[in-house]
Amino acid sequence: MPRAIRGVLIECEPAIKSILIHIDSTQLNNDAIIEDLDETHLMVKEQMVKTLQARLDEKLKETYRVEVPLDDSDEDKGM
Amino acid sequence: MPPKRKAPGTQGAAAKAGRTSALSTPGPGTPRSLDSSMMSEEDEDFLNDEDVDEAQKQREDMLAKEADQFVNKWALTSKNVDGGEEAGQRTYDAASQYFKKRDYSHYQLKPDHQNRPLWIEPDGTIVLERFSPLSEQATDFLITIAEPKSRPSLLHEYRITTHSLYAAVSIGLRPQDIINTLDRFLKTPLPPRILNFISSCTQSYGKVKLVLKNNKYFVESVDTQLLQKLLADPQIRAARISGTTDISTSYAPTMAGLVIPGTKNAAGVHQADLKQGNNQNGEQGQAGAEADVFAALNEEDDDDEKEAVHSFEISDASVETVQKQCLEIGFPILEEYDFRNDNVNPNLEIDLRPNTLIRPYQEKSLSKMFGNGRAKSGIIVLPCGAGKTLVGITAACTIRKGVIVLCTSSMSVVQWRQEFLKWSNINPEDIAVFTADSKNKFSGSTGIIVTTYSMVTNSRERSHDSKKMMDFLRGREWGLMLLDEVHVVPADVFRRVISSIKSHSKLGLTATLLREDDKISHLNFLIGPKLYEANWMELSQQGHIAKVQCAEVWCSMPPEFYDEYLRANSHMKRTLYAMNPRKFQACQYLINYHEARGDKIIVFSDELYSLKQYALKLKKVFIYGGTGQAERMQVLENFQHNPDVNTLFLSKIGDTSLDLPEATCLIQISSHFGSRRQEAQRLGRILRAKRRNDEGFNAFFYSLVSKDTQEMYYSSKRQAFLVDQGYAFKVITQLANINDTPDLAFATPQERRELLQRTLVDNEKGFEQDAETDDLFGKPSGRRGAGGARGRKAGNGVRRTAGTLGELSGGQDMAYIEQNKAANKGLKGKGAGKKADAGGQNSFFKKIQREKEKIKGAR
Repeated sequence: MPRAIRGVLIECEPAIKSILIHIDSTQLNNDAIIEDLDETHLMVKEQMVKTLQARLDEKLKETYRVEVPLDDSDEDKGM
Repeated sequence: MPPKRKAPGTQGAAAKAGRTSALSTPGPGTPRSLDSSMMSEEDEDFLNDEDVDEAQKQREDMLAKEADQFVNKWALTSKNVDGGEEAGQRTYDAASQYFKKRDYSHYQLKPDHQNRPLWIEPDGTIVLERFSPLSEQATDFLITIAEPKSRPSLLHEYRITTHSLYAAVSIGLRPQDIINTLDRFLKTPLPPRILNFISSCTQSYGKVKLVLKNNKYFVESVDTQLLQKLLADPQIRAARISGTTDISTSYAPTMAGLVIPGTKNAAGVHQADLKQGNNQNGEQGQAGAEADVFAALNEEDDDDEKEAVHSFEISDASVETVQKQCLEIGFPILEEYDFRNDNVNPNLEIDLRPNTLIRPYQEKSLSKMFGNGRAKSGIIVLPCGAGKTLVGITAACTIRKGVIVLCTSSMSVVQWRQEFLKWSNINPEDIAVFTADSKNKFSGSTGIIVTTYSMVTNSRERSHDSKKMMDFLRGREWGLMLLDEVHVVPADVFRRVISSIKSHSKLGLTATLLREDDKISHLNFLIGPKLYEANWMELSQQGHIAKVQCAEVWCSMPPEFYDEYLRANSHMKRTLYAMNPRKFQACQYLINYHEARGDKIIVFSDELYSLKQYALKLKKVFIYGGTGQAERMQVLENFQHNPDVNTLFLSKIGDTSLDLPEATCLIQISSHFGSRRQEAQRLGRILRAKRRNDEGFNAFFYSLVSKDTQEMYYSSKRQAFLVDQGYAFKVITQLANINDTPDLAFATPQERRELLQRTLVDNEKGFEQDAETDDLFGKPSGRRGAGGARGRKAGNGVRRTAGTLGELSGGQDMAYIEQNKAANKGLKGKGAGKKADAGGQNSFFKKIQREKEKIKGAR
């Protein structure tokens, strides 16, 4: 008997899609994404859409501040 | 130690703070990390010098803190400046929250504000509208009283600081004049805070000077009351040499009679004649030059008036105490060097060659230094390729006393010496070079020594020759100390230099007075204030430096790379966004395009792994720290003269010191975080481009950035300095027809995956350090503690594989083919090839061979 899972189709840029997959695997324990369709489309569980969105916003805020503090550049051995 | 030498600890920033104070031009409002522990690698070399003992380190720390405090005390934004709060007339509306403190909408506008060009904020920032009819005069005025902060095309920003006000006072502007003129140009009435600031600064600065006359120190001032006040202080009184008349009076020095060699005024006038009272030409000439400045003010008294100055003598040893005390009292001392009346130090016979012409902006900067006939110490900022060396040489020719020149590397030492010989008529024996390889002295009583910073600051054990040399340097009084690339030297190191070498005046030269860690303000004490900063846009319009078109090319990351990027640690991230295959493609496209136009291209990469990969894949020559000296010279020669070699890949060593006049196009594939200075220095590599006859821009600067990565963030920070100078960065999101490029690198997904795999594997074992031998301060020895595995070459070339001995030694038909031949070898090939054929075998074996054959034949 076929099983049907209700999901939401998400269309986005490839870079954002990578970020979503990354969030899913590290923070959400592979809970949210049902299927990875192609470069710009994802199938996501209905209940998880909001959580995913919130996490994505958080992650994107980090682009204004650098995650790694600039101190790092000094230890960057001769580069 | 010679008695005149100041002990290293006691002399500190606070003492040197006797010259004017505080704020250098702060950078634009980009976020800067003020973490004082953050330094670039070049500094680490000095601070990890283990021979500096603990006590000295502590002293230095303490002095650094004192310097910080002092700097803050004199800032306009500090609480000391009494402004009165902007009392409650502020109206709040929907937009106020975005401006917070900087909401000045409640200021009253004057009725004719349309005609006036200036806005002012209470913290001293002035905004100038370039499109206003009065903007020319306003600019002239602002140059004299404020420091330029940002100069794009329509709105310029300047900042009033204590230093700039001092500079204004020193050329004779009175505070009332400044205030009146400012008021005339302003759209709003002058805020009381600024008024108080200007009055208080101009009152206290420039009043007391420390002058070295006939080898004696005099404290000089126009105001006798002031001197009496100073003498009331017990310490100063104790320092005064008793037996001399209380206060002696003489005439104030004017610029009359001082002619800077090489300028228009110098044509036909000899310096020697002027001393005998041939003042007419000199005065008129100078008055003419100053006339433009004062046109706007048009109420200046004529320069012929001589003012009386009063002075008292103090002993040599107590100079610092006197400086400190004056500071406490509130009248900081300035140092100026009266070289014309200095009869004790022998004169150096040096003059500019008659065919040397000084450009107008060079002349302006020197006139700021020699403003009132004496030599002021300070820093001159000119863009790369604008002729800083010539400015230094001209200053030396004006002062005509012993000169010591400090450079960053031994290559630049050689270059400076050559420049001296080229532009001036100095006797080649009078100029000597002091580096690790050669330690000569000049014959004769005085001359010029060119050396590097590391030679004079390293306090570790030296060879006997070096020690003798150092004693020689320390034991004499130098007239001028020229500091090349002064932004490189951190303040702590600088204190050591200054404490060991005694010089009457110091001139710092640089193109970028910026450091990400904000130590520039200390340099203001140690060397002097910023005397002059050139306008890059103006210079490029006049054709002295190249016009540059700056562009940022956005390269998207393929999904596999991006996935990896998200997961990686910060080091790996850097490698990944540099190894982006779309970047390869963009790079290839741009190289092809520009080579077709006949440009010489330099590609910069900070990251070593990607540099090699790019150069090998695209089959171009490259130079990095590990390249041997001979190979470097060969590659550089070929790049400059060989029409087949048009592209050169450089690592960080190419940022400074290498002189590459021919490059017209610069591509940057990876860079050092948010360093504005590096961006500007790299741009400087192509500013020397000779004028081409075609339209518009003659030089190009591309920065390749990977989209959606940290690089975008750093890139915007880096551009801040250049944007302030007036360069606009275009953004290129797509390169037209890039897929039509023949032989496009990494065109298929499979190739990209391979690249990814290779990158990950190669970089797992660690990152190769770029050993910069002998560039900047790179000395391979004694670099411990500068971060982990620097000393030992961890993981370099060590790799473990499993297999039987037969396999590994080639017994099982393992064959090696070099896929991406290094283009460097291609250059060598032609020369070496011939030799290989000729002398294939050693003659001994040839002989044996012949004998064997003879025996065979005989049988």
